[in-house]
Amino acid sequence: MNFLFTISIRNLFRQRRRSILLGSAIAIGTAVLVLANAFAHGISEVLFNEIVSYVSGHVSVSFTKGGNANNQVFHDGARIREIINKRVPNVKRVDEAIGVFARAIGNAKADNVILVGMDPSGDGVDEKEAEKLAKNFKELEGHFADLADTTVENPVCLAQEKAKTLNVKLHDVVRVRFTDIRGQTQAARLTIVCIMKPSNVFMAAPVYLHIKTVKRLLGYSSNDVPQLYLSIENPRKDAKRFADSLHAGLNPPLAVIDGQLSVHGSGVEVTLLSLRTDSASLALVDSAMKFSARTAADSVNPKKAVIISESLSKITGLQPDDTCTISYEGKFGDEPGGARLIVTAIAAAGSGIDGQVVLVNERDFYKTFYDVWPKSTVAVNGPFRPDTEIGIYKAFGGEWLLAPRSRTTRDVMKLYREIAQKGWKAIVVDVGSMYETASMVLNLEYALNMITAACVMVLFFIILIGVVNTLRMTIRERTREIGTIRAIGMQCVDVRNSFLIETGLLALISALSGTALAFVTMFGLSQLTFKTDANPLGMLLVDGHIFFAPTVLAVCFFIMLIVGIAVVTAYFPARHAAKLSAAEALRHFE
Amino acid sequence: MDIIDIKGLKKNYALGSTTVHALRGVDLTIAKGDFMSIIGPSGSGKTTLLNVIGCIDNATEGSVKVSGREITKLNDREITSMRLHHIGFIFQTFNLIPVLDTLENVEFPLLLMRKLSKQDIRKRAEKLIEEVGLREYIKHRPAELSGGQRQRVAIARALVTNPDIVLADEPTANLDSVTGEQILNLMKEMNRIENTTFIFSTHDANVLKYARSVVKIRDGLIVKEA
Ligand SMILES: Nc1ncnc2c1ncn2[C@@H]1O[C@H](COP(=O)(O)OP(=O)(O)O)[C@@H](O)[C@H]1O
Ligand SMILES: [Mg+2]
Repeated sequence: MNFLFTISIRNLFRQRRRSILLGSAIAIGTAVLVLANAFAHGISEVLFNEIVSYVSGHVSVSFTKGGNANNQVFHDGARIREIINKRVPNVKRVDEAIGVFARAIGNAKADNVILVGMDPSGDGVDEKEAEKLAKNFKELEGHFADLADTTVENPVCLAQEKAKTLNVKLHDVVRVRFTDIRGQTQAARLTIVCIMKPSNVFMAAPVYLHIKTVKRLLGYSSNDVPQLYLSIENPRKDAKRFADSLHAGLNPPLAVIDGQLSVHGSGVEVTLLSLRTDSASLALVDSAMKFSARTAADSVNPKKAVIISESLSKITGLQPDDTCTISYEGKFGDEPGGARLIVTAIAAAGSGIDGQVVLVNERDFYKTFYDVWPKSTVAVNGPFRPDTEIGIYKAFGGEWLLAPRSRTTRDVMKLYREIAQKGWKAIVVDVGSMYETASMVLNLEYALNMITAACVMVLFFIILIGVVNTLRMTIRERTREIGTIRAIGMQCVDVRNSFLIETGLLALISALSGTALAFVTMFGLSQLTFKTDANPLGMLLVDGHIFFAPTVLAVCFFIMLIVGIAVVTAYFPARHAAKLSAAEALRHFE
Repeated sequence: MDIIDIKGLKKNYALGSTTVHALRGVDLTIAKGDFMSIIGPSGSGKTTLLNVIGCIDNATEGSVKVSGREITKLNDREITSMRLHHIGFIFQTFNLIPVLDTLENVEFPLLLMRKLSKQDIRKRAEKLIEEVGLREYIKHRPAELSGGQRQRVAIARALVTNPDIVLADEPTANLDSVTGEQILNLMKEMNRIENTTFIFSTHDANVLKYARSVVKIRDGLIVKEA
């Protein structure tokens, strides 16, 4: 076997010109392949690890209250976190994320900014994360960690470029105006504690505050959470799966408020349910419910309107147009919740809601519910719990509204348009994975992978044509030699193998040289610095440099693939040569 | 004892739509240790006969026994192995492997056999190179050797496996007469030392004096045995 190698290598040198020609073609092809792949992988590294995890998380949970995209709040944060921990094993980090548009005024210069909250020393920020953070936000003046400084008024960190447009320096104050989660315009003074140079233009636009500062400025209470971004260990493999699982876990329970109904000084235990006001739900109410007074639409639509059951009417003596007050215990804090409501209709017995129940139109229900989150839940017994079998059950609202899983960025945008149009009153909870929220960005990776695939195809044809032609010529030239070694007693398979070894060796040497060439090129290209501010593609650069991320696995795979293609292509010509009759081959003269 | 026993051997070649009868019924026995010459004009069938005996071409009809084995019934693998172990070849055009030097060319058949150790192979090859008088040229490639030297390498290569028979198809045809005689002398010498059966073909009556026995062939038939 050894001497087959010796002969093969020497034969390669013997037909030097031909070997160099074919070898160069394969080498250049390999170099392009390795380069394209490393570039694509580099970009997806940047996309996945830097941009996507900062911009949308690998998996995200968003909340939209009152159909207002700027009102991103959920009032029982602990509950959501609990579900996340149960549904997403080994979640690396759960970041609270807020981005709010604001108008900023520096020293006689103004600009639009996005206030972004972050926690540079929060839970799950390990050494590696911290290192990455330091790399992504290069401190020029001041310290990033000072965002947590409580002795300074609203510490803020901004990019060098931003500081220039606002004409501000370290320790200067920037005044901002923005809308808080209650819809009120607020103003605040931000003190610059750090000026940095982000590795990515993408991260230069916002100004960064501690998440706690932003939450305070926007009026979040301690139990409220903004959007949550989840970082997971293996995003490509798991993001979609975990998002689906989390989505299933976030199915809302029926919203109930168990409280005290007071009429003329006397109290009755009642349960408040939310009655949805979309047309489908109203139709349900009309068909499933018998009214002893008025009809569904005018019973539900008026302000503070409630429908009570006939039995409750009997107990309390409440009649249409009577006013009553409700008070209930809150889940957080001592302050009780309550509302003043007006009876608009009485549901006749047999509607499926006989009992101590008050159906509140969803607008007023959620206003009360989210104002003071009730202690009661549907899982615990209360004055009334509806039978899930009854016709009208579907018209009752949950504690929140779970948006269906979107599959693309377009779906996501459609969903948010819908949220804004329909004016849903319940908080809309939306679970996304980076595959939907960043699908536009991911398409880029896909396109790059297609380029790599195209490289493989081109390379395949180069090898196919090159190898077949070269071998044909070689075999013709060496026909008498083949006859000789066959006559001496070399087996047919060994003759075939010697040609395969020859081709395989050439392909291997070429692929290795091509890989070396690719690495040299990558090194060269990554030395170039590009100006990032003007170029929208700057976001794909790291620190102004093209970022290549070749992987050992991919490179080995490509080399094996190329050698494989070459050997397979060589198989048939080589076998043909080996099968030549020795006598015929010896008679061959050129 | 006869090392070769041929009965009723016919060999046809298809040439377009016609058939060439290259051998038309050859009966021949060759004794072990013989130094035999097959003589005949060009196109008489010498190469064809040697090829059939050498197991590199198959018979159309008849029986051919080499070293007691009927070779017309063997498959490719067996017949290749038969060539490797029992037969040595010397060609008119020397047919050395151009990328191998003298030593490697001579070692080549032994490497194919995969029987001896590396050292034994080397020893055996060197011994033969010594015997054909090419000790100084052991590291030379064929292109650096003269025709006569190349044919000496070929002789060493043919003998290195200790074959029963060495077949030489017009071994001197590409050499000048002096070198040709040296080569035939060497073959004869080797025939004596190794007691290997030699069969060589020629169309040159001048070399017949070296032969112990002579077979005359014409138009695919043996016309005279002596
Ligand atoms: N492969 C072949 N196809 C057709 N005819 C052949 C072939 N090989 C040999 N012949 C013919 O067979 C006859 C014998 O040829 P050959 O054995 O080579 O003669 P020699 O070696 O004595 O010159 C010749 O007529 C030759 O043309
Ligand atoms: Mg001939």
